Amino acid sequence: MLLEMKNIAVNYGKINAIRNISVAVPEGKIVTIIGGNGAGKTTTLRAMSGMLPITAGEITFEGKRIDHLPAYKVVANGIAHVPEGRRIFPDMTVEENLRTGAFLRKDKDAVEEDLEDVFTRFPRLRERRTQMAKTMSGGEQQMLAIGRALMSKPRLLLMDEPSMGLAPVIVEEIAQIVEEINANGLSVVLVEQNAELALELADYAYVLETGNAAMEGPADELHGNEHVRAAYLGL
Amino acid sequence: MLDLLAQTGLNAVYAASYISLVAVGLVLIFGVMGVINFAHGELFMAGAYAIVALYAGLNVPFFLAVAAGLLFVGCLGLLMERALFRPLKDNPLGGLVASIGFLMILQALAVMGFGVRMVHIPPVTQEVIAFSEKVRLPVARLYVIIAAIVLLSALWYFLKRTKFGWALRASAQDPEAAALQGISITQTARIAMFIGAGLAGIAGALTAPLVSVNPHMGHSVIVTAFIVIIVGGVGSLEGAIVASVAYALVHTFVTTFWDGVLADIVGLSLMLLVLIVKPTGLFGSADRA
Repeated sequence: MLLEMKNIAVNYGKINAIRNISVAVPEGKIVTIIGGNGAGKTTTLRAMSGMLPITAGEITFEGKRIDHLPAYKVVANGIAHVPEGRRIFPDMTVEENLRTGAFLRKDKDAVEEDLEDVFTRFPRLRERRTQMAKTMSGGEQQMLAIGRALMSKPRLLLMDEPSMGLAPVIVEEIAQIVEEINANGLSVVLVEQNAELALELADYAYVLETGNAAMEGPADELHGNEHVRAAYLGL
Repeated sequence: MLDLLAQTGLNAVYAASYISLVAVGLVLIFGVMGVINFAHGELFMAGAYAIVALYAGLNVPFFLAVAAGLLFVGCLGLLMERALFRPLKDNPLGGLVASIGFLMILQALAVMGFGVRMVHIPPVTQEVIAFSEKVRLPVARLYVIIAAIVLLSALWYFLKRTKFGWALRASAQDPEAAALQGISITQTARIAMFIGAGLAGIAGALTAPLVSVNPHMGHSVIVTAFIVIIVGGVGSLEGAIVASVAYALVHTFVTTFWDGVLADIVGLSLMLLVLIVKPTGLFGSADRA
């Protein structure tokens, strides 16, 4: 397993946000976490990247415990997080945003190559290279957030609601990008409100309900499951 | 008349230089740490007393004393970060109150060390550049102008062209997202405090031989700096520089042609006008304010 989360709990003050959550991410796969509002999807993802302290359980990445590390040290281990709401740096240019994604890297030549790769993958980012990030559309900002994450040369990409607030055409485009980067060997954890999209993309899925693990299984199996169809796919 | 205008213009450029050094440091600290540093005027004062102690007291060469003042006040900034702002990170109001406490400590230390009276500092140079009989620029003032241009350009280069500069801006704009890029917010806070305090320190050190150095000299400086950053747009470094120049021009001209009290009133009125017309300041954006 590339990443393994075992029996994690996270509290907000005295409130139990998630309990006893276990997630395993195999190398090269897309794993999705679906569930309704407040089910604990984002909390689970933020625990993975060190943004929230866990109160129970353990997280290992490539066999190494990472659950005691602050967020800025988790990145150094090869985990990049595309946060909910994109969170690009509004008053920095597109290029500055991307280069900030490579903040920890010392291999300057490879950074230039990766920047070129990101521009090739997202031609619109190249066009807007010197533009302030806040002036871009939602879809472009999502692409920038993904590009910024790729610039750290991660082995695992965590994505929180990449489809949120985007037009269907753009969502389709983002989905394609996720498939492409996964095909290039990057493992992905995808948190999505849009269960249809998530189950279509993922190899394996977890369903959270009010902070608890409700169900898990291969994505196509869950897609056929009656409870999932009724509760999350609206079928 | 033309001579008077030119001379007043020169005076304004000098005033804009040290005001912008102080204001830019204040903006930088506010941007990265999210805290209003009320002790910023006292950091300016501490820079001036570094000159009193080293240059006037121990006969250290002036520019060496200025460099020492910059380092000393920069380190005071680091101390404030560690002792006040980091423990109070989730409490901006607490940070503000703590900085007011620190201000009083610095003032008390200055009184204990040097007394309450104004300190006389021997002039660094008596040289004057005479553009005409009535238009003259003392070289000591020229030093302040050069320092402001060089330091602010260097800061601009650092923020726009270097990795740590981007990290600083990223931390100011979205600390959590910055942490996700591997940026240590504690480290960027330290850098911002050192630079911000250091700029106030060097402004105090360079102007020390030109003004009356006393333990309460920080007061008028901080009031001016607040006006300037509100007019420029809280959080905007460009705004702070532009507003410093604008404020210094208006203030110096009103002082010269009418009087100083009226100049203060005009300055504050301008701030109110900007707040009414554009509440985010000239260069501020609503999403950051």
